[in-house]
Amino acid sequence: MRFKKAVCFILAALFIFASTGKAGEVIAVIVNKANPINSISEGELKKIYTNNILSWSDGTAIIIYELSVQDPLRNIFSQRILEKEAEKAAEEWAHLKLTNQAKNPPLAMKSEALIIRKISREKGAIGYVSLASVRGSQQIKIVSTFE
Amino acid sequence: MAVLFRVLSVFLLVMTVFMFSKPALAEEDRLDRIEKELGEIRKENNELKLRLKEIETDDEEVRHNLQKLSSLVEVSGYADAEFYFTDQENENNKFRIRHLSLFFSKDIQKEWKLFSEIEYEDAPLIESRHTTDISDKVQGKLFVEQMYIEYHPQVKWDMRLGRFLTPAGIWNIYHYPPFVPTQERPLMVRKIFPQVCDGIQLRNSFTLNDSILDTHLYIANGSGNPGRLDRNENKGIGARVNADIIYGLSAGASYYREKDNQNINADSYGVHLLFNHAPFKFQTEYQFRHNAPESARSFNDKGLYAQLTYDIAKWTFAGRWDWYDSNDTDSKNDLFRYTGAVNYHFAHNVVGKVEYNRNEFDDPAVKDYNEVILAIVVAIGDL
Repeated sequence: MRFKKAVCFILAALFIFASTGKAGEVIAVIVNKANPINSISEGELKKIYTNNILSWSDGTAIIIYELSVQDPLRNIFSQRILEKEAEKAAEEWAHLKLTNQAKNPPLAMKSEALIIRKISREKGAIGYVSLASVRGSQQIKIVSTFE
Repeated sequence: MAVLFRVLSVFLLVMTVFMFSKPALAEEDRLDRIEKELGEIRKENNELKLRLKEIETDDEEVRHNLQKLSSLVEVSGYADAEFYFTDQENENNKFRIRHLSLFFSKDIQKEWKLFSEIEYEDAPLIESRHTTDISDKVQGKLFVEQMYIEYHPQVKWDMRLGRFLTPAGIWNIYHYPPFVPTQERPLMVRKIFPQVCDGIQLRNSFTLNDSILDTHLYIANGSGNPGRLDRNENKGIGARVNADIIYGLSAGASYYREKDNQNINADSYGVHLLFNHAPFKFQTEYQFRHNAPESARSFNDKGLYAQLTYDIAKWTFAGRWDWYDSNDTDSKNDLFRYTGAVNYHFAHNVVGKVEYNRNEFDDPAVKDYNEVILAIVVAIGDL
């Protein structure tokens, strides 16, 4: 009986530790205005951010932008879309990059403003920023939002 | 008289209201003006903020571009040091600098890249006066693990010419200590498929049923013929295919064929599976090689491992079951290993490891033994 209790306690502790994700502000997924897509699903985003889609439907190569690993917004994105902590996802990319096996790794930018600027200039670019930073912006196209 | 008094009263009342209301109206005007001015200041302030943000972004973009320009050669790598304890016969406990591996990468042109990995294993001591040529004194090895020129016109395909890790299974490619839970590799790794190949490799990624199929094709000198030893005969050929079936689940197969320097025709086959669903990660590989010597009986060597890891906060827990049979015509040479490991991630690029291995032999003449490894591993390079 005591053993069962101990097992239950350990499992509960593991569950609590493993699910420490926090919801945050609204994230907007943005692309260049010339991109033909108007919306994107979370499944497609997952595929893009794991290199399982390498180009857009018109053949344009995808350029992936993301925030630096310390940015809380990246952790929200990572947990929601990639289903893992941002640091874990970054470690996996680091392993791929170190071994030169990464096909099209995301480019990490320190600020949302720079991501917006890059995406407004590059046709194949995609990235995510807070909705507040792009609300009403004419430079880019919002294709998805989530919390 | 009463009428006059009433008119006078009304007049006085109107005058009083008029006299008192004038300053109040003036006050309202003043407040309106101030509010308007405040609005204008707020507007100017917002414009200045926007301008400041633009300047900050400009500054960051310049720094980002400068950083790219200034890195003449990108250097990354890893290093580890470990205490090794064992009760194996004729083996001693030791402290060793296990690896110092340096990667040098340079984008020569937009589509051309040079990539190299120089590995110093077990801290080699090599002196110019040839006093350390005896292998016992050299201690470790200095090894060009990879050096290739890569041509990558598109992200979908690239070509590598030089020395590269043999694209076979999972561990042979993805094995760097900061990113794997154990210091010891699975038993069969590097025994069935060669560690590296000198030759040419073509990678192509196809879209298949809404997911990616990665393929590698390569032709190489063969496992025993690096560099100047090649006589341009008995080339080895190989292929690897890996499919992402669903998110987090991938599987694939590998093949390699060569005639080695002992005139043994060897055909190696492998299958692998990876299930990466945070916080769990499961990977398994089975490899098999058919060895056909020209003047002796054929035999097979084969191996299998299954590894499960669990990440929780800064900890990783891992368990692995491992088996290797170097010759299936002899029933006594199977080796089994049971591994348990705990990793603590001090930071994303600093890992402490504790690993236990239990090695068991089929052959009763060989004594089973245990290993305990305590290691600190660091990765060089940013996330």
